[in-house]
Amino acid sequence: MKADSNGQLHHDVGMSAEPPHGGSGGDREKQQPPAALHGRLLQVSRMATIGEMAAGVAHELNQPLTAIANYAQACSRLLARPGADPAELRQALAEITGQATRAADIVRRLRALARNQQSERVPASVNALVREIIDLLESDTRLHGVPLSLELADGLPLVVVDGGQIQHVVMNFVRNSLEALAAQPSGESRLLIRTSVTTQHDVELAVIDNGPGLAPDALGHVFDPFFSTKESGTGMGLAISNTIARLHGGSVGYRPNPPTGACFYLHLPSQPTP
Amino acid sequence: MQEQAPTIYIVDDDEGVRNSLRFLLKSVGLATRVHASANEFLGAYKPKQPGCLVLDVRMPGMSGLELQQQLNLLGAIIPVIFITGHGDIPMAVEAMQHGAADFLQKPFRDQDLIDRIQRALERDTRSRAALAQLDRIRACFDSLTPREREVLALMTRGKLNKVMAAELGVSQRTVEIHRARVMEKTGAASLAQLVRMAMDLESEPATL
Ligand SMILES: Nc1ncnc2c1ncn2[C@@H]1O[C@H](COP(=O)(O)OP(=O)(O)OP(=O)(O)O)[C@@H](O)[C@H]1O
Ligand SMILES: [Mg+2]
Repeated sequence: MKADSNGQLHHDVGMSAEPPHGGSGGDREKQQPPAALHGRLLQVSRMATIGEMAAGVAHELNQPLTAIANYAQACSRLLARPGADPAELRQALAEITGQATRAADIVRRLRALARNQQSERVPASVNALVREIIDLLESDTRLHGVPLSLELADGLPLVVVDGGQIQHVVMNFVRNSLEALAAQPSGESRLLIRTSVTTQHDVELAVIDNGPGLAPDALGHVFDPFFSTKESGTGMGLAISNTIARLHGGSVGYRPNPPTGACFYLHLPSQPTP
Repeated sequence: MQEQAPTIYIVDDDEGVRNSLRFLLKSVGLATRVHASANEFLGAYKPKQPGCLVLDVRMPGMSGLELQQQLNLLGAIIPVIFITGHGDIPMAVEAMQHGAADFLQKPFRDQDLIDRIQRALERDTRSRAALAQLDRIRACFDSLTPREREVLALMTRGKLNKVMAAELGVSQRTVEIHRARVMEKTGAASLAQLVRMAMDLESEPATL
């Protein structure tokens, strides 16, 4: 164990080292999250359910579209008959307009929701962002029976970011690792979150597991939207992470974790220290 | 009662979809009744009314699947056509396993829906005819006297008149009279047909 720059204790665990006992949670001082943090956590978990939200919106939109299609098809049937009643047709057309307005409303609400989540970028410590969501992450890792270790480098430069979005990337990485690890016997699974500075002076945030790693044919595609090898995966997790990284002038990437395992990393340009 | 026009029941919680379906079906001359929930439908449902049910899988409260199971429990024969959103395919598959007539993904081509409704109505007509036939048989059998019923039971077991007479403690002549009354009241043309009718009655619960 060692203390990082904030004086907090964490396990010093390499992937091949002994299993950590009980993850990093035991040593951390437990305190109630302040209100602002709580709001942040809520926002993160809301974004984490973006897939569910998309499914809900798809269902919502499908209803007026179905109604519009029904009315339009009924109109062509009515028109195909001699002596079609204009009043009846006018009624259907009014309904079509109404349903189109309803669809537009759904889209407008969705836009408003996206605007609410528009980023506000402030100088932040990547380590602090990770610690903020550690409870959330640990509830996930504990559920999967995977010990989570932290290796947060001392004296990292600050980054200018939307914290919620960065946390969303971490959650995506961690969830993917847990899903990859679920395929192998528990007891051997390890998960590590590590921060460091690259030679290019970027801040690196890496999520490292000792699962199967990426298959060669998946290598070039994992960051593509809709690429998924999972039965119920949307394939959007890494694509969204990639977008978030680019929006911050950074990048996401993958390297293998020998002998076996995956390392997904996020690079963020560092704030020049004043 | 036989020639009642069929009613298409539409159950969908979405008002827009519901009314558009009513409009569409009306444009092809079909009579409809719309309901916003499974419970509302159950309250209004008349088992004797021929027709079919166009049912949304996903609804708050009682879902389409639950309604289907409820109807199965009630012994209802009304055919069900499920309409589903995109993500609901597994549910639709389950519905089919529980005997749904068909399912359609929203939005659909009007002709696809109308074809399926036509098929469902034919199926409904067939099962209603079969049930009506059973009802007729049951009424005939119900009109038998206790003694005639005893004779019927022995006849369907293939007993000879002589044996029956001995078992019932009556003359062979009396057995012959009862036998003739049974054939007459049930309208069976032969002993074989009588046996089939009796078997049909036993295998079918008395529901509509
Ligand atoms: N840690 C990992 N180990 C092995 N394979 C991974 C790992 N992380 C991602 N992958 C591969 O990359 C693919 C894409 O990941 P992504 O997060 O974009 O989508 P997903 O996880 O499949 O779906 P969703 O995020 O909607 O659950 C995964 O299906 C998986 O094949
Ligand atoms: Mg994922």
